[in-house]
Amino acid sequence: MSHLSVTPRRLAAAAVVLAITGGAAACGPEDSGAKAAGGKPAKGGTLYVLNQSPQEDFDPARLYTSGGGNVPGLVFRTLTTRNRENGADGSKVVPDLATDTGTPNKDATVWTYHLKDGLKYEDGSAITTADIKYGIERSFAAELSGGAPYLRDWLTGGKEYQGPYKDKGGLASIETPDAKTIVFHLNKPEGDFPLLATQTSFAPVPKAKDTGTKYENHPVSSGPYKVVANENDGEHLVLERNTHWDAKTDEERKAYPDRIDVRSGLDAAVINQRLSSGSGKDAAAVTTDTNLTAAELAKITGDKELAGRVGTGHFGYTDYISFNPKVKPFDDPKVRQAISYAVDRSTVVNALGGSSLAEPATTFLPAQESFGYTPYDAFPAGKSGDAAKAKELLKEAGYPKGLTVTLTHDSSGGDEQGPEVATALQDALKKAGITVKLEGLESSAYSEKIHGVKTEPGFFLAGWGADWPSGGPFLAPIFDGRQIVQDGYNFNNAQLDDPAVNKEIDEINKLTDLKAAAVRWGALDKKIGEQALTVPLVHPVYKRLYGKDVKNVVISDWTGVLDVAQVSVK
Amino acid sequence: MTTSDVLAAPGAASDTPEAAPGARQLWRRLRAQRAALAGVAVIVLLVLVALAAPLLAALEGQDPDAYHASAVDSALGGVPVGSFGGVSADHWLGVEPGTGRDLFARLVYGARISLGIGLAATVVQVVLGVAVGLAAGLGNRFLDNLLSRTTDVMLALPTLVFAIALLAIVPAGFPRPVLLVLVLGLLGWGGTSRIVRAQTLSLKSLDYVAAARLGGAGRWRIARRELLPSLAAPVVTYSALLVPSNIASEAGLSFLGIGVKPPTPSWGQMLSSATTWYQADPTYVLLPAGLIFVTVLAFTALGDGVRTALDPRAGTRLRAVARGRKGARP
Repeated sequence: MSHLSVTPRRLAAAAVVLAITGGAAACGPEDSGAKAAGGKPAKGGTLYVLNQSPQEDFDPARLYTSGGGNVPGLVFRTLTTRNRENGADGSKVVPDLATDTGTPNKDATVWTYHLKDGLKYEDGSAITTADIKYGIERSFAAELSGGAPYLRDWLTGGKEYQGPYKDKGGLASIETPDAKTIVFHLNKPEGDFPLLATQTSFAPVPKAKDTGTKYENHPVSSGPYKVVANENDGEHLVLERNTHWDAKTDEERKAYPDRIDVRSGLDAAVINQRLSSGSGKDAAAVTTDTNLTAAELAKITGDKELAGRVGTGHFGYTDYISFNPKVKPFDDPKVRQAISYAVDRSTVVNALGGSSLAEPATTFLPAQESFGYTPYDAFPAGKSGDAAKAKELLKEAGYPKGLTVTLTHDSSGGDEQGPEVATALQDALKKAGITVKLEGLESSAYSEKIHGVKTEPGFFLAGWGADWPSGGPFLAPIFDGRQIVQDGYNFNNAQLDDPAVNKEIDEINKLTDLKAAAVRWGALDKKIGEQALTVPLVHPVYKRLYGKDVKNVVISDWTGVLDVAQVSVK
Repeated sequence: MTTSDVLAAPGAASDTPEAAPGARQLWRRLRAQRAALAGVAVIVLLVLVALAAPLLAALEGQDPDAYHASAVDSALGGVPVGSFGGVSADHWLGVEPGTGRDLFARLVYGARISLGIGLAATVVQVVLGVAVGLAAGLGNRFLDNLLSRTTDVMLALPTLVFAIALLAIVPAGFPRPVLLVLVLGLLGWGGTSRIVRAQTLSLKSLDYVAAARLGGAGRWRIARRELLPSLAAPVVTYSALLVPSNIASEAGLSFLGIGVKPPTPSWGQMLSSATTWYQADPTYVLLPAGLIFVTVLAFTALGDGVRTALDPRAGTRLRAVARGRKGARP
């Protein structure tokens, strides 16, 4: 993929969104002339959300979200949040409760935030920095597990802290000199701290209202909506306006609908069917967890009205082949290179739903500037594989008659690491004289096997997405030698422990200029890519339907999916 | 079927011999039934297709596992290029969406799995069922009780659930088709065993068996020489009905993703991946579904025909009808 192709794709995505807004305005039955002239979103109405998975966790400490989450982001405000804009602009971090994205000290180990004026909870009481500190402390409690691990790793004393229920003293590394100021002391430089501060563990929790594990039944809202009903452990949620939320303090969330009704436990096909027919309430419905499948997309593309109601997004994710160089014959770089040359990305793309649902990848980093995307193709396989070059390398490696290898994959159909991709690769490698035996394992067995240092196979399918759009959380867990986990889940599958790579990761983490850091991450990706420890295959694309009456669809590159805080149904 | 079919059957055997039971008579009686004959024709055709799968695929010039990226429209989610699921001179029945693999080649190779596993599993079931049934019928009370209760348990087991569990725990290295045959075979012998035991018990008290026993014949000899020939009719009938149920079970297990492993083509597996495509590419669903339907129907028709032909009362009816018709003719 060339660098040039990125911009047109973005433009195309933006054009699609524009076309959607126009199209929706043109065909809506109750559209007046004023609305048609730009399809202006207006306040009011009820937005319906149709989902598969219930929102079982609604406790800010237990949520593992990117950028504050979709539905949770309606209730929880955080120190910073993602920029709610389309495309690449949406991968920026912006202030939310805080006045700015944070003031670091010289080496990015101390971060200071100040709160905006006039911030209130749903009961009208003021939000203080002590509540944010308490919210973070809760996320350390064993009872409230499930959140992201970063704070534990980054905050001074985080490793030992047991949470506010066991440890009444609190975390000394978070200081609140006054009700509007909060200071974080980290054990190492982290230029990405403002991006971490988007996670829901940074949402304020008033200590007096904390009910422990029951808090999720009625979390105290700091956002534009409050929870009025939570049935069957998050299967049905009803959110209504939080009258104490002041739009003047929140530049990010538009909060057009008066009410949001989240219904889950539905089948994926049913959700897409309901959104496409859009009868009754479903006209004002969206989904926050169901993508269109290839077959559904094939049908929708033929229908102009439906095709205009598809939102397209790019979440930073890479599906790739992973090698374990400790297993023969993958210890030989020539064998890994031969496979890199032999892969046919066009059949892999088709296996994952075709060119509108997956884009071929030659870099480990997603093709987005915020990650530091630097285009490279270390082993150019062309569109459909270079079998001749692969054979040549195999010969040099001592396999003139080809070789037989085993590819481990997830046996569940439709999975990105599933049998469809595995058989496509099997067919491509056959042309280069590599016989691939398939080892399909049930999802949890597969996951356990590839993430255990001792059980890890030599050649398997894997995928990686980042917790925020930056090169750090994308590269460090996979290639930082100090992150190899001997007992437990290990993501450094190549078991790479290169002092030069480790040092560069540390150096980049010190940068607080995210743009400068991104350039360095890109260069590091290119350097590691030359070692053929992985074969990047594709970056997936998300396509989701939304109802006829839904306006102001915003899809950022941070989440790649429609932002539920921005849509309007009037 | 039965009576009405029999009535409709033209050219029924005119000279049905009274004695000489066996394959020849069975065939003669089967010939009188149009549905059974049609079933036999379809089965013969399917078996030939399965045996000649490599030849047929070569004739078409396609490999069942080869991907054809150019035969599908990647931008449209991988829908086959062309009408009726991409039917063309190169791809006689079109291609699989997403991969572009040739459907004709995959279907003929899939016939090997469907028929092979269906028939082999039936053989395992019949051999086990006859062995257990005979042993129970001829053994002492303790053995009979033990084997009969075991049979009851086998019959009461929810076969599908058990098969899923068994298939999930066996190591991935074990050859899948063999495993499917074993799982289906080991779980499905209960019916045969019960029939054989009942038949053995009633035959055991007949004079000719008693005579053989008085003549000094051992249990083994009695079972082999005196009982087995008389057991043939019910066993053949029952196994003819087991085949379609085994074919359907294989398709069901493959549909659930625990049958044969990719890229081996199987009808059930094809049907499973086709379900999401029923709107965008209906041909892809109709082909494996139609084949499974036709195959199961053919074996069921044959099984029903065999039962009618071997049923002594039905046989009489058959002859009566044949004579009646002949008599009525001017």
